[in-house]
Amino acid sequence: MVKVKYDSVEKRYGDTIAVEDAEVTVEDGEFAVLLGPSGCGKTTTLRCLAGLTKPTDGNIFVDGTDITDVHPKNRNIAMVFQNFALYPHMTVGENIGYPLKIAGVSKEERDRRVEETADILQISELIDRSVGELSGGQRQRVALGRAIVREPAVFLMDEPLANLDAKLKMGMRTRIKRLQRELDVTTLYVTHDQEEAMSLGDKLIVMDKGNVQQVGTGDEIYHQPVNRFVAGFIGSPAMNFLEVEKDGAVVRPSIDGAEFEFELDDDIASAYGTDGTFTLGIRPEHVAVRTTENPRCIPGTVEVTEPLGNEQHIDITFGDLSSEDLQFTVTASGSLSVERGDTVWLEFEQEHLHAFEQSSGERIATEEIVQSKPNVPDS
Amino acid sequence: MATKPETDTPVFETPGRFEKLYNEYEGTKWSRVAIYGGLSMYLLWTLFPVYWMVTGSLKTREGLLTFPPQWIPLQMEISNYVVLFTQRPEFWRFILNSMIVTIATTIIATFLGACAAYGFVAFDWPYDLDFHLPFYILSTRFMPPIVVAIPIYVIFRDIALVNTLPGLILLYVMFNVPFVVWMMKGFFDEIPDSLVESAMIDGHTHLGAFFKIVLPLAKPGLFASGIFAMIITWNELLFALIITHSADAATLPVGLSSLITQYTIQWELISVAGTIAMIPVLIFAFIVRDELVRGFSMGVDG
Repeated sequence: MVKVKYDSVEKRYGDTIAVEDAEVTVEDGEFAVLLGPSGCGKTTTLRCLAGLTKPTDGNIFVDGTDITDVHPKNRNIAMVFQNFALYPHMTVGENIGYPLKIAGVSKEERDRRVEETADILQISELIDRSVGELSGGQRQRVALGRAIVREPAVFLMDEPLANLDAKLKMGMRTRIKRLQRELDVTTLYVTHDQEEAMSLGDKLIVMDKGNVQQVGTGDEIYHQPVNRFVAGFIGSPAMNFLEVEKDGAVVRPSIDGAEFEFELDDDIASAYGTDGTFTLGIRPEHVAVRTTENPRCIPGTVEVTEPLGNEQHIDITFGDLSSEDLQFTVTASGSLSVERGDTVWLEFEQEHLHAFEQSSGERIATEEIVQSKPNVPDS
Repeated sequence: MATKPETDTPVFETPGRFEKLYNEYEGTKWSRVAIYGGLSMYLLWTLFPVYWMVTGSLKTREGLLTFPPQWIPLQMEISNYVVLFTQRPEFWRFILNSMIVTIATTIIATFLGACAAYGFVAFDWPYDLDFHLPFYILSTRFMPPIVVAIPIYVIFRDIALVNTLPGLILLYVMFNVPFVVWMMKGFFDEIPDSLVESAMIDGHTHLGAFFKIVLPLAKPGLFASGIFAMIITWNELLFALIITHSADAATLPVGLSSLITQYTIQWELISVAGTIAMIPVLIFAFIVRDELVRGFSMGVDG
């Protein structure tokens, strides 16, 4: 039972706040992913747990024990670094066995466990090689091996796939997930790649500007983002936002020159509460594109199409405005035949609309709007 | 239909005079003549004095001083070597002193300097002290050493370090640490932090990681700064001359200089002692030459 708990952890560098008041709990055996743009404090959060960075304030508990002031070597935590951090003056086998060597494990026992680990990672034939001769993917596996060989209480990974090429990345992702399931070790994983995060994590911890924005499963975060940042950060292409003004059930953009309006379903309109301005968000796949005029739809002009085979991304502007605020990206079937300059009609799937307060970016009416679970997203 | 914009094609530029010259001579016989000719001149310039000294040690005094010079020694006299050690038996002691002082200084200075350099590289220092302190340390070598010779002599006399080996070692460590710090700083900068962090997570203390991970990786740097310290120490004359005055502590350079007296310069004996003095450094450099080349090219990753 290894549960990790951050209790109002804070890290400041002078006046700069790297992590502010982080409250995170990772359950035993859980795969938690810290996700956020670069500089959001996710790596600092991870390093605090590893003991490589000392929090300015707050405590971290592993297994109920306060480890905030414990030396990294005594934390029984393994970490995989972005650049793999293999010891260049040792062979693959020596690298994997090094934590055991420091711990004073006998040579025979060490060799046995190194071989076992190498077997799991399918690098047995590389054991006597020097790490300088390995490819990126092989180095990655050696780094993983060094981390799992000692059967740590917690497994930390700091962007372990960032230095690999795209194809290798996919394979390693599956491998890491399977390994984590098999070993059943509590894991914290840092990445800026939301697709990686969604596919790996049981629990996603989205961070921005040193603050934890939202904690939840991939589905929760994708479908019920708590604020505009999370909504915009998760999903590719990103969610479309529109500043709007609500008047009863009628909604119109609060931007000069936008000359359309549309009507909300009654239950949704009432869930948004009183009239006023707010930000409406909708994901590209929740906009239906029609090539024929339709009274319920909003006309727009196709700017760019990006065909991806089975589907395509279409950038659409409303009216003759070139404003960024009035540009939508939608995902449509690959069979839809449109070209730059065509006029199309967009229909928003109203149950998938997200509304955020304009000033704070907080979500309005979280629960009520998502009534049914929508189709599974493409990631 | 508009014509293609001209920027698509690279603009042709008339080659400059040097470029023309370079293109004309690159890889030709003449360029090779220039390169090898230049290198030969340089080798002659640096190696001839060595040749002259070594052959000089094998000539008689007359043969050494004759004019026109005896370019190739006519006879192989090893008697000079015998003469040096029978006339001046204390030369054995000079060699021994030099070795003790050099080895001790090299080890202590390299170790201390490496530790200091790592401290500057690895830790956070306020007010840019991680630059200013090493710079201060280096700045101790900016002034001409003779400036501090008298104060050092007085201090050493008061604490009874004059004419002792520990005194010399202490002095030379002080001279060498600045160079070692600056050389090692460069090497430690190249070692990624994540290696040390990884070692700490794997179970080392920071000190353990320094000895087991950082130092082995910085080995070429240690050898490079080690041989630097060694050469400086082995050849140092000024302070050895000032603070030693007998075979108890005098080093080989002091012994060498004693062959130049008011009345005569014993060229053949100087050649002998010089040849002997040259050998240890040569041997060491030869042994560690691979590491040394990597060290001087600053490459951590071979």
